[in-house]
Amino acid sequence: MLLVRVAGLVAGFLTIALVATGCGSGSADEASGSAAGATAVRVSLSDDGCRADPASIAAGPATFTIKNENGSSVSEAELMSGSRILGEKEGLTPGLSGSFSLDLKPGTYQLYCPNAKTERSDFVVTGTSASASSSSSAAAAVNAATAGYSAYLKDRAASLVTLTSTFVAAVKAGQVDRAKALYARARAPYEAIEPVAESFGDLDPAIDAREGDVPAAEWGGYHRIERQLWVAGNTAGMAPVADKLLADVRTLATRIAGSSFQAADLANGATELLTEVSKSKLTGEEERYSGTDLSDIAANLAGSRAAFDLLAPALAGSSSGMGLVTTIRSRFARTDALMAEHATGGGNYRPYRQLEPAAIRELTVAVDALAEPLSQLAEQVVTIK
Amino acid sequence: MSAHFSRRGFLAGALGSAAAVGGVGVLAGCDPAGPAASRPAVVPFRGAHQAGIATPAQDRLAFAAFDVPGTSRTELVDLLRRWTLAAERMTRGEPVGAVDGSEHYVPADTGEATGLAAANLTLTIGFGPGLFDSRFGLAGRRPAALRELPRFAGDELDPRISGGDLCIQACADDPQVAFHAIRNLNRIGFGVTAMRWFQLGFGRTSSTTPSQQTPRNLMGFKDGTRNVNGEVPADLDAHVWVGPNSDQAWLTGGSYLVSRKIRMGIESWDRDRIGDQEAVFGRTKVEGAPLTGQHERDEPDLAARADGTPVIPADAHIRLAAPESNGGVKILRRGYSFTDGVDPVTGQLDAGLFFICFQSDPATGFIPVQRNLATDALNEYIKHTSSAIFACPPGPADGQFWGQQLFS
Repeated sequence: MLLVRVAGLVAGFLTIALVATGCGSGSADEASGSAAGATAVRVSLSDDGCRADPASIAAGPATFTIKNENGSSVSEAELMSGSRILGEKEGLTPGLSGSFSLDLKPGTYQLYCPNAKTERSDFVVTGTSASASSSSSAAAAVNAATAGYSAYLKDRAASLVTLTSTFVAAVKAGQVDRAKALYARARAPYEAIEPVAESFGDLDPAIDAREGDVPAAEWGGYHRIERQLWVAGNTAGMAPVADKLLADVRTLATRIAGSSFQAADLANGATELLTEVSKSKLTGEEERYSGTDLSDIAANLAGSRAAFDLLAPALAGSSSGMGLVTTIRSRFARTDALMAEHATGGGNYRPYRQLEPAAIRELTVAVDALAEPLSQLAEQVVTIK
Repeated sequence: MSAHFSRRGFLAGALGSAAAVGGVGVLAGCDPAGPAASRPAVVPFRGAHQAGIATPAQDRLAFAAFDVPGTSRTELVDLLRRWTLAAERMTRGEPVGAVDGSEHYVPADTGEATGLAAANLTLTIGFGPGLFDSRFGLAGRRPAALRELPRFAGDELDPRISGGDLCIQACADDPQVAFHAIRNLNRIGFGVTAMRWFQLGFGRTSSTTPSQQTPRNLMGFKDGTRNVNGEVPADLDAHVWVGPNSDQAWLTGGSYLVSRKIRMGIESWDRDRIGDQEAVFGRTKVEGAPLTGQHERDEPDLAARADGTPVIPADAHIRLAAPESNGGVKILRRGYSFTDGVDPVTGQLDAGLFFICFQSDPATGFIPVQRNLATDALNEYIKHTSSAIFACPPGPADGQFWGQQLFS
C-alpha cells in the first residue's frame, strides 16, 4: 500500500520522491475523539520527524492526537506494526491536528511520518493488556465473518432452489402471467450470490447467460425463458429449458454447501456485485425483455451488504478500518434510499424503462460512491492476523 | 538528465531499495525555492494566483464540471484537502498514490500517466453559482458577479453540458497527463462530487504570451492575436485578476472563468470562398494579418475605408470583438479545439472551439463582448451549445488547501 521512499543519485545530488499512500481516496474523515479510558498520546509532526509524548505507554486503549506544528514536507502520521498500518491521519497541513484511537497490545510499534528527516521512530507498548488485543479479536471476527458468509450462501442457495421450483412449475404449466410475476423474485437469490456462482465456471453461463453470450443452440437459463415470456408471450418449448434450469440451481446449491471462502473472497465479492450493477443493470441490458433490472440491482446490493456487514466487526480494531466502515455504511444508506424511491411494494421495483435518465444517473453516482471505498476492503481484511 | 523527477523515476526508484534513505530532508524535485531551470515542465501549483490562467497555454485540455450532490460542508472541505494533495502531486509529475502493491491492493493511482513527465500540467479550480445556495453555508459569500450568464443571441445550449457547482481545468502538453489528472480527481471525489460534463481539447487556439505562436482554430484562422499578454502584470491586474475592492475579499487575486462550447459548421465553412472567409474574420487566412495590415500583429485600422466601405467589414469578427468596440475591454482567452466525433443525427463532424476566457469581472468582460458579437458574420457558421461560469479562487499559499480562502 505504501510506496517507500525512493533514493536516486541524479545529476550529482539526491532526489527523493514523495511518499504516497493508497488510503487517501474515498474515505471520509477518520474516526476521531478519545475512547473512554484511553491513554492520550500526543504526536507532534515536523519536518524533523514525529515525536510521541509519552514515548511509551502501557497496553490498552490509546488515542493518538497528531498535530503538524510547522512541517511543510510532512502531512501524515501512521502507527505501524511491521508493514501493517494500524492507524493513520492524513492531510495534516501545518497547524492542523487529527486523531485516531486503537486498542494496543504489548510490543514495539513504529510511528511513521513520510517525508520527515527521520521517518520512523519506535513506539513501545509495555505490560499485558487487560482487554483482548485488537489483532486477536480481529482475527476471531474474520473467522466469524467467513463462517457467517457460508451460512448466508447456503440460505440464499436454498431460497434459490425453492423460488425457482415454483417459477419452473408455472412455466411448465403454461401459466404465463404467473411465471412473469415470479420471475424477478426467483432470480433474486442468484443475484445476491452471483460472484460465488460465477466461481464455479460452467454454471453461470447455463443459468444466467443473456442472448448472444453463448451459442444460440446452447442458450438456456432464466433469460431464455424471460424472452419467451415477454417477447413471445407464451411458454412454448420451455419445459426442457425449465427442467435444466432447476437442475442447475440445485447443482449450484450442492456445490456451495461443499465450499469454503476466505475473507478476501467476501470483500472482493462485495465489490464484484457492484461491478455487476454498473456493467449491465444500470444500462438496462441485463433484463432486456422483462425490464426487471432494478430487482437484480436490489439483490446485488443486498449480497454486497451481507458480505460487508459480516466483515465490518473485523475492521473495528484500526482507525483506518473504522473510517472505511463508516464511509461504506453511509454510502449503502444512500443507495438504499434511492432504491426505495423506485420500489413498488412486495419486493418489486419499477421497470427499468420507466426510470428517468436523471434517476439512472443518480443511482450510478451513488453506486460509484459506494464501490470506491468498498474496493479498499479486501486489502484491509487480508492484513488482519 | 536533469534533477526533476518524473513518474518514471518515481516508480523505477520504488522498485529499488526500500531503505536506502534516511535523514535527507531536501526534496530537490519539489523544493519551491529550487531553481526553475532544474524543474523543466513543472509549473508550480501554489502561488498568489492559480496556475493555468496566465501560464503559457499548454497544448492539451481536459475540462470537467462537477455537481456536488450532497449538503455537507465538512465533506466538501475534506474533499478539497484531498484534491489539493493529489493535484499538487500530479502537477509535479507524481502519481496520487501507489500504482502497485500487494495482491489485494486496489491502486490509488490509476496508472496511465506512469512513465510520463509532468508535461507542464496545471490544475485550476473554479466554483459555480450553484455552490453558493443554502447547502454549504456559502450564501453570503457569493460574489455578485457570479451568476448564470444571460441568454445570448443564437444560444442553443444543452443544459446537460452546461453549468456545474465546481470545475477543474487541466492543461498539459500531453493529453494523457491531462486526462489522468481529471480521472483521478473525479475518482477521489466519488461520494462528494459527481462529474456533470467533461470536455477534451486537442489543440490550443490561444497564445497567452507573445513568445508563443498564435495557433489556428479549426476554421484555419488565427484568432485572439490581441489577447491579454500573460507576461505583463499590469494587463493581468487590469483585465484578469479580481482586485482588492470587489464585493468578496476571498476572491481577491482570483478570476472569473467563462466556458462556451462553440460548434462549428465545418462542412458549410469549408465551402465558403476565401474572400468571404477573410471578410468574416477581418483577417487574411494564411498570414493572419488584419485586412488593413501586412502582418499578424499589425494593429487593425477599424476606421479604414475603401470605395466608401470599411476595409474591415462592420460585421467582421475582429471588429466586434476588438477592445475598441467594447469600451477597452480585454479578456484572457485560453480556448482549445475539440471534436466529439460525428453528430449522430446528421453524420457531420461534431467539432469546434471549446472557448475559455478569464476576466476580473464578467459584467465588463465576456458578457458585453458576447452581446456585441450578436451581429458577428461568424454566427452563420457557429453555434454555442454549452455555457458555464465559475469563480476561480486565488492560488493556494503554502499549507493552504485549494479554495481555502472561500471557507475561512
